[in-house]
Amino acid sequence: MALTHEDVRKIATLARLRFSPEEEAKLTGQLAKIVDYIDQLQAYEVAEPEAPSQGARELEDRPHECLPREKLLANAPASMDAFLLVPEVKGGGGGDA
Amino acid sequence: MPELWELSVEETARRVRGGEVSAAEVLESCLARTAHVEPLIAAYLEIFEDEARGRAAEIDRRVAAGEDPGPLAGVPVALKDNLSLDGHALTCASRILTGYVAPYTATAVERLLAAGAVPVGRANMDEFAMGSSCENSAYQPTRNPWDLRAVPGGSSGGPAAAVAAGSVPLSMGTDTGGSVRQPAALCGLVGVKPTYGRVSRYGLVAFASSTDQIGPIARNVRDAALSLRVIAGADPRDSTCAAEPVEDYLTGIEEGIAGLRVGVIREADPARLGGPVAENWRRSLDRLASAGAELVEVSVPSLDAAVAVYYVIATCEASANLARFDGVRYGDRSPEADNLIDLYFDSRSEGFGPEVKRRIMLGTFALSSGYYEAYYGRARGVLERMRQELTAALEAADVLATPTTPSAAFRIGEKVDDPLAMYLSDVFTTPASLVGLPAVAVPSGMDEQGLPLSLQVMGRPFGEATVFRVCRAFEREVGWAVAPKFLGERGEEAA
Repeated sequence: MALTHEDVRKIATLARLRFSPEEEAKLTGQLAKIVDYIDQLQAYEVAEPEAPSQGARELEDRPHECLPREKLLANAPASMDAFLLVPEVKGGGGGDA
Repeated sequence: MPELWELSVEETARRVRGGEVSAAEVLESCLARTAHVEPLIAAYLEIFEDEARGRAAEIDRRVAAGEDPGPLAGVPVALKDNLSLDGHALTCASRILTGYVAPYTATAVERLLAAGAVPVGRANMDEFAMGSSCENSAYQPTRNPWDLRAVPGGSSGGPAAAVAAGSVPLSMGTDTGGSVRQPAALCGLVGVKPTYGRVSRYGLVAFASSTDQIGPIARNVRDAALSLRVIAGADPRDSTCAAEPVEDYLTGIEEGIAGLRVGVIREADPARLGGPVAENWRRSLDRLASAGAELVEVSVPSLDAAVAVYYVIATCEASANLARFDGVRYGDRSPEADNLIDLYFDSRSEGFGPEVKRRIMLGTFALSSGYYEAYYGRARGVLERMRQELTAALEAADVLATPTTPSAAFRIGEKVDDPLAMYLSDVFTTPASLVGLPAVAVPSGMDEQGLPLSLQVMGRPFGEATVFRVCRAFEREVGWAVAPKFLGERGEEAA
């Protein structure tokens, strides 16, 4: 398929990324070329996935010690007591750069 | 007499355990070597000399007290910067993790420590392990010790360059589509991508969870086998880590490969690449045959689709895994935003580099409504086909062989503006990743420019012992000099 600027803007909004017009132009060209290449997959035979052979084992559900909260919160850009701090939740322009 | 930094992992540990040399002497030799080579290759993001000296001293105390510090006693090791070491910075070579400090230690790293290894630093990588040249690091490009104008490969470019240059005898990388094997190949080293589930990923920053594996990079096959044994095995903290018992890979590694069937994949015929890789490949097949292997032709028609399948599946998983980097819980937060949505957009747009953004975009696209079936669904279907074909090939043969890479190390800057060309260098490594097979890259000689070339051996799930045995037999045939000449020793360094 031919990827357009509009597609790229829509995907960027979904991905929570912003691009300058120059970045967007370059990225559209690069992604279009990659998607073109990936389109060759339509020509290959497929098989139905069987039982997952790369799946997870079921582990016994046992309580164990957690990492200390202070240690984890020490990595937060902003926190107060036991909470992460963020700016106002309402508002925001989203993807429109 | 070789310098201590030139010793193999096995020999280093043997001497330290036996009290012939101290871990401190080994470490000082490696640190001196590092001081000499690091300004040229830039393999590290951080070197923690003092802490390493403390650990080495502790190993020596234990030896003096009659204890055995373990199979990696006193072995200096470099850790790729996506592996957690409690209390140390962890960046994945990304700006978005600026200031992040690992709050715990990865299981694989814990096992290295328990075996007596001495971590010396955080090694450079492509940002979030996305890349094949180490040029996508937000901090610095790493250079190939064999030719400072060339890339070391990626994404584990720092770990590979560090070992190739003699800074350390062992490093830990991670391989999602070839990120241990390709840099090992380009730097003339042995690189291991274990079976999916062989090594715990607790403490590894996730990129593509259905293929990520941690694996060792070393100068010879025995060292790689010994090190994998240390880090492999079940872990209650990672439910994707398999319960299969871990073999002693050194037992039987010297037994040779008489009568063993090595599958040659018709669709991966490197003759069509031409040039030194094709010529080296023919010689590699001769060497396998003269070691006693029976060469059998196998067919994997979906092989040519591997890169396309990989760049759909890995980017889809990456777009989900990297959603957690949003400036809220850890890492870098954009100071500008006055509401939460803008905080996400600003932090991610400022924090991620171009290749990471490209892959998040590609994965988001392939998972988006209207395209999911055509891209992700299709890729999963072709992947299942590939799994069936490779499983059948591994019934007709005991192992499969291909070159590791379609070319020797390329020049820095050569492919930075052409992501697709960069992706295509993963053509031989992605199938084992997608299907979860063990695969080892082993040096196969050099091209006419003196750059290393490499053979890849793939095996059945949890068949690492057989893969190592083939690689060891091949290594003996190649007669690879374990300590190649680098930099100053080749007379290239400025006086």
